[in-house]
Amino acid sequence: MRHFLFLFVLVFSTVASNAQLDSLRSMDEVVITATRQERRLGNVAVPVTLIQRQQIQQAGSLRLRDILQEQIGLFITSGFGAGVQMQGLNPEHTLILVDGQPLVGRTSGILDLNRIAVAGIKRIEIVKGPSSSLYGSEAMAGVINLITENPGKRSLDASLRYGVGNPDQGWALPFASNSFQQLDLNLQAGYQLGKWKLRQSNDLLFSDGISFRPFSTDRVPRPIRRLTHQTTIQRALGSKAEFRLLFRANQDRIQQEFSVRNNGQVIDSYGREQNHELNLQPTLTVRATKNIQLHTRGYFTRYVGDQQLNFIQKPDSSYLDRFEQDLYRIEQQLDWTRGASDLIVGLGYQSDQARSTRYDALSSRKQNRIAYAFAQWEWRLNAQWISIAGVRYDDNQQFAAALTPKWAIRFKPNDKWSFNASVGQGFKAPDFRQLYLNFTNNAAGGYSVYGTQDAIRIITELDRIGQIAELKPEFDRLTELSPEFSTGINLGAEYRPTQTFNIRVNGFRNDIRSLIDVRQVATRIDGSQIFSYLNVKRAFTHGVETEFRWQLKTSWQLSGGYQWLRTGDKDEWARIKKGLEYTRSSDGTSRVMNKNEYVGLPNRSKHQAQFKLTYQPSEARFIFLRCFYRSRWTVANSNGNGVHDVQDEFANGFFQVNLSGGLPLRKNLQLQAGIENLLNYQDISYLPNFPGRNIYVTLNYKLTPKLPN
Amino acid sequence: MNTKLTLLLLSSLFVFAACEKDKPTPVVDQRAYSVSTSGNIVTVRNLPADTIVGTTAQGQPIGAGRYSFFSLETGQWIPNADSNSTRWDLAFAGTFLRVNNATSGPGGGGAFVYNGTFESLTSVPTDSTFRVDNHPISYAITRGSGKSWYTYDGPTNLLTPIPGRTLVIRTANGQKAKLEILNYYRGGATPSAAAADSIKTRDQRFFHFRYSKIG
Repeated sequence: MRHFLFLFVLVFSTVASNAQLDSLRSMDEVVITATRQERRLGNVAVPVTLIQRQQIQQAGSLRLRDILQEQIGLFITSGFGAGVQMQGLNPEHTLILVDGQPLVGRTSGILDLNRIAVAGIKRIEIVKGPSSSLYGSEAMAGVINLITENPGKRSLDASLRYGVGNPDQGWALPFASNSFQQLDLNLQAGYQLGKWKLRQSNDLLFSDGISFRPFSTDRVPRPIRRLTHQTTIQRALGSKAEFRLLFRANQDRIQQEFSVRNNGQVIDSYGREQNHELNLQPTLTVRATKNIQLHTRGYFTRYVGDQQLNFIQKPDSSYLDRFEQDLYRIEQQLDWTRGASDLIVGLGYQSDQARSTRYDALSSRKQNRIAYAFAQWEWRLNAQWISIAGVRYDDNQQFAAALTPKWAIRFKPNDKWSFNASVGQGFKAPDFRQLYLNFTNNAAGGYSVYGTQDAIRIITELDRIGQIAELKPEFDRLTELSPEFSTGINLGAEYRPTQTFNIRVNGFRNDIRSLIDVRQVATRIDGSQIFSYLNVKRAFTHGVETEFRWQLKTSWQLSGGYQWLRTGDKDEWARIKKGLEYTRSSDGTSRVMNKNEYVGLPNRSKHQAQFKLTYQPSEARFIFLRCFYRSRWTVANSNGNGVHDVQDEFANGFFQVNLSGGLPLRKNLQLQAGIENLLNYQDISYLPNFPGRNIYVTLNYKLTPKLPN
Repeated sequence: MNTKLTLLLLSSLFVFAACEKDKPTPVVDQRAYSVSTSGNIVTVRNLPADTIVGTTAQGQPIGAGRYSFFSLETGQWIPNADSNSTRWDLAFAGTFLRVNNATSGPGGGGAFVYNGTFESLTSVPTDSTFRVDNHPISYAITRGSGKSWYTYDGPTNLLTPIPGRTLVIRTANGQKAKLEILNYYRGGATPSAAAADSIKTRDQRFFHFRYSKIG
């Protein structure tokens, strides 16, 4: 028994010291998203952020939103769920992958990050800058890739978390009125049956709704039950091949209670929303020769969102919404190493299908087929220079094809310094909504929005039967929608004077063209407007992001970051420079707007900063303190000029502090506790999903300690 | 003690001064309607334009349906009894603005919207044409959010005049004037987005504008 204990302590202390090494941004950490091949972080020529399991766990994160909001350069947006803003681009321009395959089911371009549980995720890789040359559509701002845990370790982990918050009282009491409670149950198991390795993760989250707006029955956040299941099966086939299957299923049940205000009238609605999601990813990897590796990947994903709303003020009417999306994909990738070069070539075919009550008829299935090919050549000229050139071609059935090249170089003159530069093209294909939406709002003046595929047909028919009063010049520009394109440049430097300190800086510039926006194309004879989508807008974002990490002593680590960001609509900016945009003086009279009064795109903060301090004497014992700052951002155009300027309405900048800590109770039992939003910052108007201080306690139980294989 | 006394005296002086200043403005309406002149620019404040008197069966706020007629030539609010005369140039009721011509009156009025500041407009642009009302189908000064001089935001229920939009008016007697609408709410300040709807409803439809003659 004594021997066993000794062995256990020995093993445990080894694991603990490994954990400390892991937490430092190491050049030896492996990243796959940047090049579609496993690469050491030190050899990657584009800006990459890695979030390891340990950081996710110590931050107490349950959903993808929780951990992404703590990363420099990322902002969480609200409206149609929690989206992510990267390098100043909208959430629809960031591709979200699980093991390299895209998640679908976006609403208004936004994939709700709260839908995605982080249990069962080994690490999160964030690649900034356009990555369409490898991943195709949506990878304009960058890519967030969730790498799932591999099976193979015999283990059983269980955790139970209880959290409570109370925006009215600050320090919450579980059963005080208007308390907001959360319960999360997680179970993860790994086993091995002969050559089969299995791993399962199950997560169940119950979350209360809460009303923290005065005079409102709105419950934001809403009462939710989320259930996530993940199974990974892996089997070696001989000595050269391996089969892996990932299955993920997610179900959300959301109780809706909200009020909509328009024209001074309030409509209270209640109902239920249910979302189902399914992912199936079989992969076959064959090491054909020492230098050639083949990956065959299949992918199927299905997302179904169902919503039913009843209106208190109009009891006889209700709103039903259903959206289904299926994506089938098959992909073949070949990796070929030859001397100082690594070559990757890939071919793929996908069928994307959707049907919805938001389109002309639920029975009508919309489809878009894409065939694509990509190639990448990585060339290590010598010990100091690496060049990576890539290109991808996406041939779409529904709209113009996209060719997206990218070139990146890395220069590492010595052990202390490294520099990288990349220029790439990103694109986003028009989505089903922009092609097929068929929506008439009878509650607000009877205006209609039609996707471009239907707009011409519907409006021509209305015109023929004399229902159209006016065709706008925009109607003649309604042709085939083309993808949105961007060109992104990233220039970075990293300095590592010692093994315990490093600092990196990255400057970026994105030029976006042919952005799709809604425009009025016609007017009906009753005066109601008809809108459709056109490639009309141009925008830019640029900024500087910097991050440092400092291992103070063996158990102390300090890190921090800062981002400066500027954005703008190019046409607005051109008009301002010509003196064609106006604002008001303090006496209310109009004058020409000055250039320095322009704020740019809405919902962008100019400054963002953060500090993180970790004290970790052993694996289970730690304190993790995070402080975040976000400067003010514009939310509404209040002086009527349609351009966001310094006179408009801003949400206040704010500080947020999150604190968590862990304590080993018994050999397999750990207690973790945390306080989110310690300063109890609240903004009822502009941070509706950000209730006050939240306190939680988690019990983590490891039945079998993880043993290195 | 002495300083306090001085302060008291000074403040009472201010009160007197303020009263003196208020005196010359002709108060026609109890709701702070005023007209003031500075150089050749006339500024009108708090001109009520069919203010809200009740709600419809559907809960929509409504006014009494009465226009406020205004003469740009004399700077006076014209009684409704004179609506069928050439005494007025511009009539206001909510977002309805009417000129004295065609379906709206017996005069030779007209109007169009110029994109540019009030100061930058010194004469009627040669490439422009005056429009007249064709009630109830169209108006010289088009209604609708973003179409001529204002934007309206449904969710916040607020109306904001667009900066840099100048109305060019031809009076009933054929004189030309430029006019800038400054604000739409009582007191000349748009309520905050977070203000109660009752305040936004009560204080709306009070026009603030400035105008002057042009060649």
